[in-house]
Amino acid sequence: MKKILVVFCVSFLILGLWVSGSYAQKPIVLGLPLSTAYLYGWTAEKGVRLAVEEINQKGGVKVGNETRPFSVEVIDTRDLEPGVPVSEALMAVEKLILEKKADFILGGPVRSEAALAAMPLLSKYKKVSILSTGVLSPKYHETVAQEYDKYKYCFRIHGEAKHLVKEILMGFEELRQKYGLTKVFVMVQDVAHARAAGEIISKLAKEKGFDVKGMEVFPTGTTDFSMGLMGVKRSGAEIMNIWMDMPESAILLKQWYELKIKALPFGSTLAAAEQPGFWKATEGKGEFTLCNVVNAGNAPSEATPWTMKFYDSYTKRFGIEPEGLGASSSYMAVYVLKDAIERAGSLDSDKVVEALEKTDMEGVYGRLRFDPKSHQVIPAFEPKEGAVGSILQWQAGKRVVVFPKSIAKGEILLPAWMKEK
Amino acid sequence: MDIAVYGIVNSISLALVALGFALVYGISRLPNFAHGALYVTAGFLVWSFLRALALNYVLSIVISVLITGIIGSLIYRAILIRIRGMAISEIVASYAIGLAIIEAFRFWGFKGMTYTLPSFTKKTIVIGDVPVDGHRVLVVVLGVLVMGSLWAFTHYTKMGLALRGMAQDERAAMMLGIDSDFVALFAMGLGSALAGISAVLLLPLGNIVVEKGYDVLIQALAVCIVGGLGSWAGAIMGAFIIGFAQIIATAYLGAKFQMVVSLLAILFVLILKPSGLFGRQKELEERV
Repeated sequence: MKKILVVFCVSFLILGLWVSGSYAQKPIVLGLPLSTAYLYGWTAEKGVRLAVEEINQKGGVKVGNETRPFSVEVIDTRDLEPGVPVSEALMAVEKLILEKKADFILGGPVRSEAALAAMPLLSKYKKVSILSTGVLSPKYHETVAQEYDKYKYCFRIHGEAKHLVKEILMGFEELRQKYGLTKVFVMVQDVAHARAAGEIISKLAKEKGFDVKGMEVFPTGTTDFSMGLMGVKRSGAEIMNIWMDMPESAILLKQWYELKIKALPFGSTLAAAEQPGFWKATEGKGEFTLCNVVNAGNAPSEATPWTMKFYDSYTKRFGIEPEGLGASSSYMAVYVLKDAIERAGSLDSDKVVEALEKTDMEGVYGRLRFDPKSHQVIPAFEPKEGAVGSILQWQAGKRVVVFPKSIAKGEILLPAWMKEK
Repeated sequence: MDIAVYGIVNSISLALVALGFALVYGISRLPNFAHGALYVTAGFLVWSFLRALALNYVLSIVISVLITGIIGSLIYRAILIRIRGMAISEIVASYAIGLAIIEAFRFWGFKGMTYTLPSFTKKTIVIGDVPVDGHRVLVVVLGVLVMGSLWAFTHYTKMGLALRGMAQDERAAMMLGIDSDFVALFAMGLGSALAGISAVLLLPLGNIVVEKGYDVLIQALAVCIVGGLGSWAGAIMGAFIIGFAQIIATAYLGAKFQMVVSLLAILFVLILKPSGLFGRQKELEERV
């Protein structure tokens, strides 16, 4: 009888502890709809996981009177893969909300078309979402501004195309002043965002007095850019502006080196050149390539005291440096959300939206604030004023940040064959 | 001049990609839709031997091509032999196998843009006044060599003659004592090895990504449809037509038209000569 009583008491105690434990530790679920086979997907996942591990290690998130950990649920949207319909990404978002019981959506969808299509879904379920990778279309935050009441749950914490174009044009200006380069040739991938960006760059560059020699559109999957590069050579262009996120862009840069084209490659969303493995992948032929990685922290710099702390933690945790767009912004999305939840004292979507709108904190890539009307992170060229971008150049096997000047670690260099008359 | 130079480079590359597919179909009437997956497999095998096991580059290439050939034979022996002659089942099964291989690579973490193979040479050669990177020149030379070797093999060896015999008339070949299952197994192995050879020649130009498997299959299909399914000579002719059409379109219309031109070529051939330029599907032609 005594034995039965002891067993009963112990079982009751274990059950009690388990139940109370599970209640105290009920995690806040972060749903990540990401195209995980692609750079912008997997860097975002790593960024979020790193932040979640750090926050959980320090005890978690204070929600009112209780402290709760974050947990992460990822679904592969495959939205960056050619031929995969947008509906796949929408299903992933809905599954995260309904099946995985995600409290918040972070990261993606990654492709602009998919993210725009997911907005009504987020509105329907009143789920706060912070985009932190891939999507560059200005239409995202413009849509929030146009129909605020409907889309107020949507935020974006990384840079967008209009600001990127501004940064690139400032880069062109630097090349003109320093080296006298004025002739531009635009090379874009045959996808909506790249074509649009190419046209905008061409138009604005002309307005700024640059001689735009032409624009060539390459189909996704092109494996030989010789004819296009011969066209660049014939045109006498001195700057080659590239908008391509396809892996084959590495071939373009290898051929540029092999054919010794006298035009400096200056890319945006040039995923191949963003990654630390680019040097080895091109056997060093990609040296001098300029590449916009959208936010500081995706390449080494000292934008804020937090930048290299993040950079080193990421490198230590994953055995590779932050690889490109999505790493630092996804990491910061978790910290910004934590801060908003703690200030709201609740997980209620409307209260968290209000708190997010009042966000003002120093992050990995500068001061982080959202525009209260469009929910776009406020960009700047000074980290003390807002979220700063980063343009890097490959120099002797290293990614050297050359823009903006406030955080630059080096100067833009030209290859030897461009200096020859 | 640059159109001629890069037209030849592009055409030989396409011919290399399509040759294995055309060979398997020509001999055993088996549309190997796993062709692209085998191409990617060969690439990742070389990469693994070279980077992970630090083997010699040439040795890695030889082992990988052999393994790819063996994988192709195993696919035939284990699965495709059971459904041989059932065209739709062959397409579905081989496509499913290809899909499984490609997705398995993705699952094992072979994703991203950093899987690359070193170029055979870093030199740039100037032909006329057109600069071409040395590796592309080697692709042309080795590609012609592969095609020549295949021609010699099928004309001067016992096995090669058996392959041609079966390609001409399987029943007659069987009456002459040729083991059709073995020849089909050998053809599948050879076709897969050819996919492997094209991979080791072409992948050093760029990077190894799983999606390449789909692109290669589409390219091989396009070339074979234009040249005529089942004809090796047709595959080479088709490669030259599409290869030059793409380069001319890029030069005069813009790079974005190169894919359109390939599709238009398929469309025109299907309208004018449904069995392809050197096709053997006479029945189809007659019906049309």
